[in-house]
Amino acid sequence: MTAVQHASVRAHPARRLGRVAVWLFLACGAVVSLVPFLWMAIAATHSTSDLFHSPPPFLPGGRLLDNLARLQDTIGFGRVLLNSLGIAVVHTALSSLISAMCGYGLAKYRFRGRGLLLGAVLATMMIPFQVLLVPLFQMMASVGWIDSYQAVILPFLANSFGILLMRQGFVDFPDEILESARIDGSGELRTFYQVVLPCVRPQLGALVIFTFMTQWNSFIWPLLMLNSEDKYTVPVALNTLTGLSRVDYSGLMLGSLLATLPLMALFLLFQRQFVAGLLGGAVKG
Amino acid sequence: MGGAGGGGTRDIDGNKADKKGKVSGKITVWSWDVAAKAMKRLARTFEQRHPGTTVDVVDIGYDNAYDKLTVGLRAGSGLADVLTVEGDHMPRYTANFPSAFYDLTNLGGRYGGDFDRAAWSTVTGRKSAVLALPWDIGPCALYYRTDHFRAAGVDPKSLLTWDDYVTAGVRIKKATGHRLLIQDSTDAGILPMLLQQQGQSYFKGGRVAVDTPEAVRAMTLMKTLHDKGLVDYENGWDGFVTGTKEGKAATTPTAAWWTGTLTDEMPELKGRFGVTPLPGFTADGTRTSNIGGSTLCVPAQSKNPRLAWAFIEFLLTSKANQVSMLKHEGLFPAYLPALDDPYLSAKQEYFGGQAALDVFARLARNIPPVEYTKDDAKASDIMISTVNGVMLRGKDPRTALDAAARQIAAATGRERVK
Repeated sequence: MTAVQHASVRAHPARRLGRVAVWLFLACGAVVSLVPFLWMAIAATHSTSDLFHSPPPFLPGGRLLDNLARLQDTIGFGRVLLNSLGIAVVHTALSSLISAMCGYGLAKYRFRGRGLLLGAVLATMMIPFQVLLVPLFQMMASVGWIDSYQAVILPFLANSFGILLMRQGFVDFPDEILESARIDGSGELRTFYQVVLPCVRPQLGALVIFTFMTQWNSFIWPLLMLNSEDKYTVPVALNTLTGLSRVDYSGLMLGSLLATLPLMALFLLFQRQFVAGLLGGAVKG
Repeated sequence: MGGAGGGGTRDIDGNKADKKGKVSGKITVWSWDVAAKAMKRLARTFEQRHPGTTVDVVDIGYDNAYDKLTVGLRAGSGLADVLTVEGDHMPRYTANFPSAFYDLTNLGGRYGGDFDRAAWSTVTGRKSAVLALPWDIGPCALYYRTDHFRAAGVDPKSLLTWDDYVTAGVRIKKATGHRLLIQDSTDAGILPMLLQQQGQSYFKGGRVAVDTPEAVRAMTLMKTLHDKGLVDYENGWDGFVTGTKEGKAATTPTAAWWTGTLTDEMPELKGRFGVTPLPGFTADGTRTSNIGGSTLCVPAQSKNPRLAWAFIEFLLTSKANQVSMLKHEGLFPAYLPALDDPYLSAKQEYFGGQAALDVFARLARNIPPVEYTKDDAKASDIMISTVNGVMLRGKDPRTALDAAARQIAAATGRERVK
């Protein structure tokens, strides 16, 4: 007892030093991850020509509104942002629901071939995206969906990663609760929506953030599918600012900066959900 | 019924005499950057001249444009009616998708003499079939800093050969401290330009040609420039632009489109640049080369090839339109009649009153045609490391090029010239 106390007292300064080291380390990490973001913000307020000075400007300039006006003028940024937002929201809502339902089914229902089905879902994760490009493209072309929003949204709704994530969330869910819900006369759908789903909020929150981010940043598929500039998503539209011998860096920086805002808002929103889910506790007697 | 699935390219229209000039309907055009801008502008003029037509120009961005084209070609559907393809990319597509484009020989063949012959060679496939029309080219010359040259007492007109260039470089560095040129260490620098100046690319007659006497001469020149401390190395395009803006180098041997970068990104350097023909390998040798240039073609999956061709013809074989695209978007025409326009001999304020475009216009007719292949990308990767090996790690040019030729031959399954 005394020995332990003694040790803890003696360890105190060392532990404080250790904590300072950790803080320093974290501070370095914060700086490293914040500086590119800061540079993006600064660059968004200068003209592209100013960015080519060495050393580059360290303070914000006065061209923010010019850049914004040019961005709206060249790629219709407002419209493009709405396209991205619409596509990502619809995709995330549908995809998360499908993932949750599939995951629930695979975790909680016993049926013939369940293992095989789970294996098949797992196996699709190993198929490289590049292999799918041409066949998927042909499918979209044959149903006449090229240059439509649904061609961007629908093909990737069933997301194997999401299904597996949700399945893991549901596996530990006590069967007793499901049984008591059934005994109380709740239908399968109602049980799913009102009893089970609220308990996997942390996983669902993570999945929503992940799915939204993936769709929001998705580039190659929307680029292949969309053939009208007024249907472009943000990454596809920003890509047109990179030319052969000219790059509109200030526009690119401003566009990228504005494009991160919805992601941050979403993260803040669902982070709370995240924590609430964790604190709420999944099972109460 | 017959004929479906038979390989080879198709003509656009068998009986064109009876419905000549009558086009209707809608086409989509894919392009990027200033080229898309130019077409969007002139598409309106075209639509006014041909009532009942719609030309929809879409900027698909440059960075991944070829992914979009390749997937569309492989899938056999989903492409636009008119595609922009860079001249040096054409062979890859015509080799990998031999029947994917309309044969324009009957319609466009007669324009052969009107286009720069180096550019024309990029649009003609096997058996001289015309598969696209050339749009712009990048004739090369030497951009120089008038202030650096003046301070060192060097007359830019005296740079007749690359030897003169090196001598001048040493003098300029001594007098002003500025190096002679910037090299982007992520690419092969001026090597492809020096090769085309001598009439070759990495391949000759389908065989690997990176160890020819011409190539050794080019590489030796680059090594000399390095050994005399005349090269400033920068990373990537952005480093290249920044270095030029900071005045790190007294010259930039490059193509006419560089003017657009100068006026856009360095307006404050107005009056500090001049343009003179490239130094030659001999005093009476070729004084230019080419970097870049694109073409327009009609994929075989187009539903309205006649309108597609009509738009291409309108855009590229009209002197007025070509000059207007040079004026507004800086696209240097491959269409030779446009080079006689008075606009090209006008004095340019940015170049301190020099008629810089005129220098390029004179050189454009003498660009040596070279051969592009579907293996250029493979060869290029190997040549970048060869250039770095010679310039930065002091390897002997001849030995290094010999090794490079062996590597490229192995990687592409092609024979060597030697």
